[in-house]
Amino acid sequence: MKAQRKMAGNLASLGFALALVAGLFTLPGCSRGLGSSSSTGGGGGTGGGTGNSLAIAVNAGPANNDVNTPLASVTICIPGTSNCQTITDVLVDTGSNGLRVLETQVTIPLTNATDTNGNPLGECAMFADGSFLWGSVSTVDITLAGEKASAVPIQIIRTTGSVGFPLVPNTCSGNGTDDGNVSALGANGILGVGLFKQDCGVNCVSTPPANMYYDAGAACTQASCALIAVPLVNQVQNPVSLFAKDNNGVLVSLPSVGATGAVSVSGSLIFGIGTQSNNALGTAKVYTTDGLGHFTATFTPPGGVATGYPQSFIDSGSNTFAFLDAATSGLTDCSTLVPPGPAGFYCPASSTNFTVTNTGNNGVNAPVMFSIFSAQSLFTANPTFTAFSNLGSPFAGAFDYGLPFFYGRSVFVGIEGQTTPGGTGPFFAY
Amino acid sequence: MRKILSILLGLAFGTTPLWASLGQSEASVHEDQQHMAGQLKSATFNNYTVHEITAAGGMVVREYVSPTGMVFGVVWEGTTMPDLPQLLGPYFPQFRDAVAATHRHRGPVYVQAGQLVVESGGHMRAFRGRAYITNLIPGNLTKDVVR
Repeated sequence: MKAQRKMAGNLASLGFALALVAGLFTLPGCSRGLGSSSSTGGGGGTGGGTGNSLAIAVNAGPANNDVNTPLASVTICIPGTSNCQTITDVLVDTGSNGLRVLETQVTIPLTNATDTNGNPLGECAMFADGSFLWGSVSTVDITLAGEKASAVPIQIIRTTGSVGFPLVPNTCSGNGTDDGNVSALGANGILGVGLFKQDCGVNCVSTPPANMYYDAGAACTQASCALIAVPLVNQVQNPVSLFAKDNNGVLVSLPSVGATGAVSVSGSLIFGIGTQSNNALGTAKVYTTDGLGHFTATFTPPGGVATGYPQSFIDSGSNTFAFLDAATSGLTDCSTLVPPGPAGFYCPASSTNFTVTNTGNNGVNAPVMFSIFSAQSLFTANPTFTAFSNLGSPFAGAFDYGLPFFYGRSVFVGIEGQTTPGGTGPFFAY
Repeated sequence: MRKILSILLGLAFGTTPLWASLGQSEASVHEDQQHMAGQLKSATFNNYTVHEITAAGGMVVREYVSPTGMVFGVVWEGTTMPDLPQLLGPYFPQFRDAVAATHRHRGPVYVQAGQLVVESGGHMRAFRGRAYITNLIPGNLTKDVVR
């Protein structure tokens, strides 16, 4: 980050600036129903947990092909009613904020939230690999274990060809593939329990960034769909910060996984930090982050110089340790094997140890040690295993500590602006 | 030590490009700027020029141009993902096909396909990535300049 900031400064004022403000148009009012079936659920199921502890399972998932995918059950209700349903197999993601569920899993009759033009609010959740989730926003009550958040905007993910809502705009779909189905998503939804209260934050309040919130009225077509600014309270919300209690963060607790992996593991998503006997920080160190949720990871290659990666983060929604490239890490990229191994992973010939120092914005620092072994060997040796503590991936821009980091650790996620015994969020602690 | 240049752009950008930028001529930077409706700042360093486009909503794209006028690298940072077909131009299909070949992997991507390298990572609110063409990087520079 420092290097780029310096570069930006060098680019200062001499350049000629041409500013064109992205066009926003006002559309006539239009409201559309969601079009899902309207069966009535049992009402108030707690979906796999009690009190402030929600069960997490790492298994093959609903697509039956996933690894290191932490899943939990979420109960959603028509606001203010007992008309509820429980959605199983929702990905627990500390790297995003807010709940997203596949339309195909929703059986209760939800209505679309409207934007400031009175039109249905559309949202594109786009990921780094170019994949996307397109859909509407609806307001629901959410129950997670024994905790409840009322009137929470969530994303309802539309599947390709879904009726009753504008089709995905080309500006949302152009980067890659539609993850809006169980097979591609590997889950029935995403439960974003990250560092922030909204999925976008202040950057969406005045001037909307490209490819996120859309004015999804009748004029929204695939070829042209206007972006729209969205007030903070109307953005998709992290439900945890809306709980009446245990609302300052979460603790992800997963058991250790050995070097060969495990068929499955069970753990907990515990709400609150230092609010109950089961979520005390204890000896965990608090690493505060910058406003984007980043801390610095510093790595020194053998015989090389220490390099800091100031945009590093901890993300249960990534399923590997993603770091460095093959040349710097000394790890073979599986894609370069002959014949190629599983794309997107490292495939070293033998288990390789790494020590990386994480430093918070608060200066707190300590080394992290982990090992990486061949994804191809691990997958081949035990084809039914779904939990691996030593999967790695190349990514040179930052250290993205995915689910393997969580095994055998208690990882706390402190929400921005919320007070905890370890200080005010945003922070990670472990 | 560093010579700062100001690049003045006319309003006559002409027709919509088929594609722009990576591996293309310096003129494609202006097409990207137009596409992003952004502000452009440019600076020339030893053996390369950087054009930085800042768009409404916080997207920043930097394009790295060699002395022969070819875009050899691009960097993006933003709340959301940039328009990758626009930025990667003729190289986008290679990126798309390489990503489509990954299974069971969820997270940031690193794609190496021929001379193309794409690194795309981050999370909602803070995406960041870069792409470069190995054999277009000027001889006295390394990929580390694309940052």
